[in-house]
Amino acid sequence: MTTRTLISFVALLAVASAAWWWAHSRPPEAWSDDEVAVLESLWLESLPELPPDPGNAVADDPLAVEFGRALFFDTRFSANGGISCATCHQPERHFTDGLPKGVAVGMSKRNTPSIVGTAYSPWLYWDGRRDSLWSQALSPLEDPNEHASNRLMVIAIVVEDKSYWRMYRSLFGEAAGVDTMFSNIGKAIAAFERTVMPTTSRFDEYVAAVVAGDSEQQAALFSEDEVRGLRLFIGEANCTQCHNGPLLTNNEFHNTGLINFVGEVPDKGRVTGVREVLEHPFNCMGPHSDAVSRDCSELAFTRTGPELIGAFRTPSLRNLENTAPYGHKGQLATLVDVLAHYNAAPDAMIGHNEAKPLDLGDRELAQIEAFLRTLAAPASFAVDAT
Amino acid sequence: MIGRGVVFLFLLLVLQSQVFAHGGVVEEDDICVIKVNYLRAHFKIYQPRASGHKQFCEDLPAAAESLFVMEFMHDALQTMPIDFRIIRDITGKGRFARMDDVEAIDDLDAATVFYQAAALEPDVYSVVHTFEDEGDFIGIVSATNPASGEVYAAVFPFEVGFTGWGYWPLFIGLLILIQIQYFAMSGRLKRWFVKASPTVLMLGALLLQLPQVAYAGEFIVTYTTPDGPPEINRMHSWILYVESESGEPIEGADIEVDGGMPAHDHGLPTRPRVTEDLGDGYYRLDGVRFHMSGYWEMVVTIRSDAGEDTVVIPLTL
Repeated sequence: MTTRTLISFVALLAVASAAWWWAHSRPPEAWSDDEVAVLESLWLESLPELPPDPGNAVADDPLAVEFGRALFFDTRFSANGGISCATCHQPERHFTDGLPKGVAVGMSKRNTPSIVGTAYSPWLYWDGRRDSLWSQALSPLEDPNEHASNRLMVIAIVVEDKSYWRMYRSLFGEAAGVDTMFSNIGKAIAAFERTVMPTTSRFDEYVAAVVAGDSEQQAALFSEDEVRGLRLFIGEANCTQCHNGPLLTNNEFHNTGLINFVGEVPDKGRVTGVREVLEHPFNCMGPHSDAVSRDCSELAFTRTGPELIGAFRTPSLRNLENTAPYGHKGQLATLVDVLAHYNAAPDAMIGHNEAKPLDLGDRELAQIEAFLRTLAAPASFAVDAT
Repeated sequence: MIGRGVVFLFLLLVLQSQVFAHGGVVEEDDICVIKVNYLRAHFKIYQPRASGHKQFCEDLPAAAESLFVMEFMHDALQTMPIDFRIIRDITGKGRFARMDDVEAIDDLDAATVFYQAAALEPDVYSVVHTFEDEGDFIGIVSATNPASGEVYAAVFPFEVGFTGWGYWPLFIGLLILIQIQYFAMSGRLKRWFVKASPTVLMLGALLLQLPQVAYAGEFIVTYTTPDGPPEINRMHSWILYVESESGEPIEGADIEVDGGMPAHDHGLPTRPRVTEDLGDGYYRLDGVRFHMSGYWEMVVTIRSDAGEDTVVIPLTL
């Protein structure tokens, strides 16, 4: 009797292991038409042409790009003469700095977000407290923990530098009021930032092979784990709910229940950011914007509510392995930590976590991570023309 | 027998509320609530470094970074400056310390280990304090009524670094047993099982939905999207056409539009508005944008001389 029980148990175990082995060693299934459509929507080739910025009359002016690039890397616009935009937005790190929170003159309040592709976003900053690249570019200059400069000092440097002043005058004309000149300087920086874009990654090459129906090329580009990770990414793991489109972000605000930064109360995020942007004098409807109010639909139709408590802007996932640590305060050090967090989806400390627990296994999480690493590709940006 | 059971249960419930209610913080339906006079807020404490996302109501296991969060249930608290104080328990009253005991303390500042000055917090209130030592503490939350100047306060004694549960598990176990026994005797247990069976639940949900379907029939709303079919992450406009059940266009109506994703408990990223009455029952709706793929509902509320109606438009993106 006992022997028979033992034998049937061993047999059962053998069948189960065989089934498990079979399920995991099979090559991944081919993509369905629906899945191909999703893959195409994430493809860099699907990125629409950069929309114009009606608030910035020089947004696409090559001279403004050149002026803005020079300003971006100039350390004179800071209290200690050592901080430029590129101190935290380092091109070689996908325009981030590798730190939990930015460090300039002091320590910044949040993690340094990447600039790459943000020209497509209606909102800037983790909490969307600015609605244009040009108005965003001005804030760090006067933030006491970042450049710790001020608008008068910034204008004085531009006026006294012969090359800057020549470019300024041919773009914007003679000297004007302080706020007008200051916002013009932001518009030049924004013109440069609009050129900072992602480049083709191995994932994009893979989608090209999928679209062409070239299975040999697909197999050469993606390992089976990467294919499985991608299938989880667009399916069971619900990642594309927010990380959608060719930039892998919807540029909207979501509470995903991240833990507070050591010693700090939880960050309220968008619920505070939306109040600030609506009142800010440098917003799309303000006197220094070149837009007419008809162009400001995002600002005109934006909303607030308790669901925005603790909500932060979805970051792009392009080249994300070079943008660690992750989260609005850099709370998550590695991609493993990020995936473990979304797998557990803990209750939010403030507000309500929109994500639901995924209950994926370690193997599946590793497959998603393998896929995410295929998004690695450096950013491109306007280089010195001279 | 049953009669006596009810009396005993009643006594237990009374006892229960007295035992659980340490001053201003009580457990209600598994939710921790702080009562600042008649104003209530969800109350949560976290020890993020020691216990991650685990929630506490009062007593804290470790002398560690502690995060106190209040989510207002009364909007009035959004307009009242709130201050937050933690003192060492020098009243000698322990669990039974009340506002009177706190007011009797001569030098409150000397006993204070943490103080957050009064501030307006319109969305959610939180403070963080790192306890250096274990021991007994009292938390005091005060809210000032801006109109009358009256100060409302909540006092909650709590323990940091509590070591054991004492007789609590026994007591709670006994309570559950008695509750189950009572339910079994009164037939409620049986009823509960019947109620919880999914088929019955589904039928109930179906029945509840019926009047809603009937109600939505008063007006009929159709929409078109002149800029192409709705797709995510693009701001676009809708043209709404509102007609009565008999096909008469509804003109000059006051229309409000809201919406969201029921599966994610959130609304639209924008607040769309009807910007133009195009006549003949047509209205231009601007500022529509969806930011996630999946199932959405647009809720259109129509008020006109012909009546009022709310129509839900489902769409999947």
